[in-house]
Amino acid sequence: MRALIVDDERLARKELMKLLEEHPSIEVVGEAMNADEAIQLVNDLNPDLLFLDIQMPGKTGFQLLEELDAVPLVIFTTAYDEFALKAFEVNALDYLLKPIQPERLAEAVSKLADKERAMNIALRGPEKKLGLQDQVFVKDGDRCWFVSLNNVRLFESDGNYIKVYFDNNRPMIHKSLNALDEKLDERAFFRASRKHIVNLSWVEGIEPWFNGGLMVKLRGGDKVEVSRRQAAKFKDMMSL
Amino acid sequence: MNKYRIYGALQIGGWLAYAIVQIVGSYDASGSITPRRIVFFVFEAMLCLLLTHCFRILLIRWKWLSLPLPKLIPGVLFTLCVMGVTMYFLRIPVNVLLGRLVNPRTAFDIQQIIGQSIFYGILFFLWTVFYFIYHYFDRYNTSMKYQASMVEIELNNLKSQLNPHFIFNALNSIRALVDENPHKSKQAINQLSNILRNSLASDKKGLTKFEDEFKIVRDYLGLESIRFEERLKTEFDIHPESHKFLVPPLMIQTLVENGIKHGISKLTPGGTIRLSTEVLNDRLKVQIRNSGHLVNGTKRSKGGLGLKNTIQRLKLIYGEEASFRIVNESDSIVLTELVIPQNRRHESINSR
Repeated sequence: MRALIVDDERLARKELMKLLEEHPSIEVVGEAMNADEAIQLVNDLNPDLLFLDIQMPGKTGFQLLEELDAVPLVIFTTAYDEFALKAFEVNALDYLLKPIQPERLAEAVSKLADKERAMNIALRGPEKKLGLQDQVFVKDGDRCWFVSLNNVRLFESDGNYIKVYFDNNRPMIHKSLNALDEKLDERAFFRASRKHIVNLSWVEGIEPWFNGGLMVKLRGGDKVEVSRRQAAKFKDMMSL
Repeated sequence: MNKYRIYGALQIGGWLAYAIVQIVGSYDASGSITPRRIVFFVFEAMLCLLLTHCFRILLIRWKWLSLPLPKLIPGVLFTLCVMGVTMYFLRIPVNVLLGRLVNPRTAFDIQQIIGQSIFYGILFFLWTVFYFIYHYFDRYNTSMKYQASMVEIELNNLKSQLNPHFIFNALNSIRALVDENPHKSKQAINQLSNILRNSLASDKKGLTKFEDEFKIVRDYLGLESIRFEERLKTEFDIHPESHKFLVPPLMIQTLVENGIKHGISKLTPGGTIRLSTEVLNDRLKVQIRNSGHLVNGTKRSKGGLGLKNTIQRLKLIYGEEASFRIVNESDSIVLTELVIPQNRRHESINSR
């Protein structure tokens, strides 16, 4: 597994590298000392895993994740940060407290192996669009989630934000629907109208609607209108 | 000694003194005294004690001690009259018991009754005045003690504490340093233990010597330099007379840490922190300059609380004599300034 270490302190990065020598399954492909550097490296190197410090000059670790399109697996590292710790515990995110205990690191690494299998990360190529196997990071106030796109049934634009529908949550992310649409794999996600993008694997039923449009029913009960312009395209896609 | 025992001792002692004064006075006036008369005075004092004791029970039961004066005075005056008359009539059986002749006509003479009753009334009035003064004094005293302890509790709450984020980060750096530079890592462990020891000791102290605080600041900055490496530069300019001053423990350290946390650590290229002191007219002026820019209003929630604590702490310790400010000295430098008086009076907090 290819990992990127993100920490503003040289000694902290060095210490983690040293600890990771014990784990040959993890190959450290790069180090970043701030969020901007990290974003660049994530895009260039496309790592499977981030070791991520929260407090850094410029942007925090959370802000970094929000700026990434597809988010690799993440293990947070922090010395002591009440607010971050609370977020980790509430959202069951994996984290390591500095100074890092070798046993805890081993635990986290073995958990990763399971996750890797589930996410099938190895299949992702460098220029591939966001598909059902990818995960995104969503933060809304104090709560944050790593959401597999598999579980997102609907994106709905709301002003400058997008509402992300998954489980019983609808957090908002600060992005435009057009920008998101370009990044999503068109075989998995469909732009139903100016306001909506639906996950095709969640579609349960389709009904004719006014003006030649369609009404799509999603599992879970949400209904989305497909505009007339897109309806023909939609029929094309759904039919063999 | 508890309150009830003080009361008992004062009651018995007071009325005993009254009896002795009466006996001596009587002997003085007539040149001789009969044993019967002595016994009479002792009985009289005991009766007075009994009556005033009953009066006290009523005072407590009716909660007269907390009444305002205008309501209290009529009630007390009336009760004192009743007590005076009661005392007069209680005296009669004592006299009879002692075999002294009691002439019914003189005993129930209206003038005699009023005269003697007024005498006892005045006596009880003095007793009441004494009782109330003691009570008010005691209540004032406890309220002062209460206020003093409130101030102390508040000060304890405001006391600076080491930031756990700093401690764990320092430990993490030291761990990495063990391989890279064993000598430096040993030095760092000394610095950290010095800071921890001082912060534990500062819980018990109200004020600390400037040089001790300065040593903590230097150790603190030494540790942060390991963490920030070339991103953190430090400068000191300490006036030699600064060492005559006492300062609230960890206060300068907190301000320096504040400058690093909100200033330098936010800047990707890092910056400089400069600690300087001046002594002017028996006042110590501490200035901390750090790279960064103060953002007013927004994003100050966490740091704002720490500074508010510092201001409140200064006020509790020095009143209006100390001052504090934090301003943008230029676009890229934040100045934190603390002025502390040199006043022996404030050392009293130490002895508590």
